[in-house]
Parts: sequence; C-alpha cells; structure tokens
Amino acid sequence: MENVEKKLREEAKRLLSEKKVDVVVGYEAGTLPLTATPCFITTPEETERLVWNPFCVQNLGKFVHDLLNQHHEAQKRVKPEARRKKVVGVVTRGCTSRSLVIQLQEKQYEREEVVILGVPCGGYVDRKKLSALTGGEEIREGSLQDGRISARTWNGEHQAVLKELLADNCLTCRFNRPVLADIEMGEAATAAEAEREYEAVRAFENLPAEERWAYFEKEMAKCIRCCACRNVCPSCYCRICFAEQSQPQWIGIGSDPSDTQLFQLMRMYHMVGRCVDCGSCVAVCPMGVDLRKFLKKLDSDAFELFGHRAGVALEEPAPLGAYRENDREDFIFDPKSGA
Amino acid sequence: MEKVMTEKQSAKGWEPKIIAIVCNWCTYAGADLAGISRIQYPPNVRIVRVPCTGRINPFYILKALQEGADGVLVSGCHPGECHYITGNLTARRKFAALKRFLSYIGLEGDRTLFTWVSASEGDRFAQVVRGVTDAVRALGPAQKLVKRI
Repeated sequence: MENVEKKLREEAKRLLSEKKVDVVVGYEAGTLPLTATPCFITTPEETERLVWNPFCVQNLGKFVHDLLNQHHEAQKRVKPEARRKKVVGVVTRGCTSRSLVIQLQEKQYEREEVVILGVPCGGYVDRKKLSALTGGEEIREGSLQDGRISARTWNGEHQAVLKELLADNCLTCRFNRPVLADIEMGEAATAAEAEREYEAVRAFENLPAEERWAYFEKEMAKCIRCCACRNVCPSCYCRICFAEQSQPQWIGIGSDPSDTQLFQLMRMYHMVGRCVDCGSCVAVCPMGVDLRKFLKKLDSDAFELFGHRAGVALEEPAPLGAYRENDREDFIFDPKSGA
Repeated sequence: MEKVMTEKQSAKGWEPKIIAIVCNWCTYAGADLAGISRIQYPPNVRIVRVPCTGRINPFYILKALQEGADGVLVSGCHPGECHYITGNLTARRKFAALKRFLSYIGLEGDRTLFTWVSASEGDRFAQVVRGVTDAVRALGPAQKLVKRI
C-alpha cells in the first residue's frame, strides 16, 4: 500500500503541475483514527495529503459527477468563446471505475473530462464491524500493520485481522482492479471470493414469501428517509429526485410505512444494472438498513435477464435503455394457462 | 384464519379493484373491440390509457398498489407491433425486472401482471381480464405496500 500511496501522490502532483487536471479527487486521512475522508486537491503542494488505505470507503464517482455537472451548468452562463473544459482527476478503485463507466455510458460527461488514477483495492473496513470490535467505544488511537488492525480505546486495546473487518461487499468483490484507468499503479490486490457473490440473495430467495415480506418490512421500518443512500450513490444524480418531486408527489411526506417502502423500492429499482455494489449506501446509512440484500438481487437479475454487469463495458448501453428481440418473456400473463 | 378472512370479505362484499394500464394503439383498441363486440368481462378493471407501454413509469404500478389497487394489469402491443417501433420492447425489460423484484421482497406475483393484447384481439382482452380478476380474487384484498390512512 505504501508504494501505491507514494506513486499516487507523484502522479497527482505531476498532473496538477502540468495542468493536465484542475482538481484531483481523492482521500485524505480523516480527523478520527482509522478513518479516511474524501478530499479535493487543487495544487501540487497539497498532494501530500492524499492517502490510499483500507479506510477509504466512499465511492468518489459521486464527486466527479457533481463537480463536472456544476461546471457544465456554470459554463452555460459564459460566452461560447470563453468556455473552458474542466478536467477532474480521480483516485479510482474497482467499484469507482465502474461508476465512472456508468456515468460515461449515460453521457454525463466526456471521457476527456476525467483522468482516472487507478489503484488496486483489497477491500475497505466496515465502520460498523470496527465499532463492534471495540464494543462501540471511542477509538483513541489505531494502526494497521501487516494486515492486522489494532484500535486503542479508553479501556484497552482491541485487535483483529483486517479481513474480518472488511465490508460485506468487499468480501465477494470481483473487481480488485479498475475496469478503466488512464494511469494504473501498484500490483493487483488479492482477489476476493467472487463466487460467493450471490450467496445471500439465493438464501433469501428460498425463504417463504411471508418471511421475505416481513424482513423487507422490518428493514424499511428502520429507514428515516434521510436520503443519505441516495446522496452518496454515484448512480443517483437526477436533478430532481422523485423523492422530493411535488408534481406528482410520488412519496407522501408523512411517516406512513408504505411511503418509506415505496421510496426505497423505487430508489432500488433505479439501480437495475446500475448498482456497482460499492457499499457506499450501506456505509452511510445511519440506521443500518440492509440495503445490500435487495440491491444485490437487482444486480443478479440484470445479469440473469439481460446478461449485463453494471459498469463493465463502456460501449454497452444501460440494460433498461436497451432491448433484444429475444428478451425473456416467461413473466407474460397468458389467460389460457392461467398465469 | 382463512375462513375468517373470507367471511370478512364477503361481509364487506369485497370485489377486486384492478388498474389496467393499457397502450392506446393495441390494448385500448382491443378493449374497445371487446366492447363493440359485446363480449362480457368482469367490471373490476379501471382502464388507464397511455400512449405506449414504454411510457409507463414502473412507479405507476407501485403507486397504484399503494393507493389501494388489489392488482395492476399492464398490457400493450405484441412485441414487434409497437406503434413507436420499440416502446414495448424496452417496457418488457423494465417489467421483467420489476416483477422479479416485487416477488423477491415478498409481494404476491399475481398482483402485477403483464400481457400483450393487440387491437384485433377483443376476445383475448376479455379473457385476460377474466384471468386477472380470478387471479387477484384468489389472492384476496391487498395487504402489502398499502397506505392506510
């Protein structure tokens, strides 16, 4: 990891001093021990702040979209001859690169507007698992060495193997390298157990419908509709989200459980073939809603029904914006056979 | 339990309420044909006419269920016969994913039904409505995802 970090800073410095990019979106050390936080680097000197470690959680694709989108909007008010391009450099792991591919597929910006600094990724630490390790106590100091995490709280020292604290989505990740990169650094990270990717989905599918509904209801009852999942999701970028739309008002503003269920259902449904399983929504959810169980199903369906894996190929259109003449039709109601 | 439920339903005289979202060019004309041919079908469907199945936001379906529909039927032109060439082909993908997802979370599969009825198939339209009404009637009143205010 050390040399990746060094290389990353060098590359970022070079890009910024050569004015190849206007800003580098990356991670810096967080204010608390064992954390990292997204940051925006605009000068070559600042590149020393960049870090790359298993505490870098958030999918940076969101910021790339936001920065470029804001820039495009601002340029509309500029005389055509004075318009300029903005180029964003972005520290990119596997899932982030897939988000960028999705945004590029959906023509949100041009390929020249991003410079992708590809880094290998072996997964990130799930804050909730870390907090469970320390029994919810505040971490005063922490370190990561040779794949072992140690966290010191007021009452003692806690230790764990890094792999035990990795987020669920990282454990079954099949994209340890970015799918798209301008500059790649470091050696490939150790692969995860990708063959177990849909294990939880299959297990859930085999439960009786009533149990599945009860689980869905229970999980959605936790949701306070803070929309953090939507705000952090790189695939959620509508200017006006249905959740806030008032004409028509899709989602009631009251506390009725069905409104929350509908909000989550619809947000998740938007992710058919667009969810890269980066786990950002799960990481930011303050209520610990098990979103992944449902999102993973959509991912598996998109693959099963349309042979589409989210954000893998630039040329491939979004699955719900395309069709094949021989798409599956087994769900079509036939009045003769009954169902 | 089941007996109590059926008693309750019959006491209230429950009839399934089905929203049929149909495309203007095929199924709506098919329904019209059923009408002018005087083919009987259950009066449980409320027809909503849209230009094309491709125009249907899947949210319409969920919203109908939330607002008290016991079932939703979506019907459009047969694949390859779309007035807008490919509207129903993209719709087919949307609905395939939606139906699967709804079953996954535990909603009864027969509450949301998709089919194709062309303008010349008045008979088929009546059959579909009969089939859908029977299917929804067998499920009983919608309990899940319903707003209770």
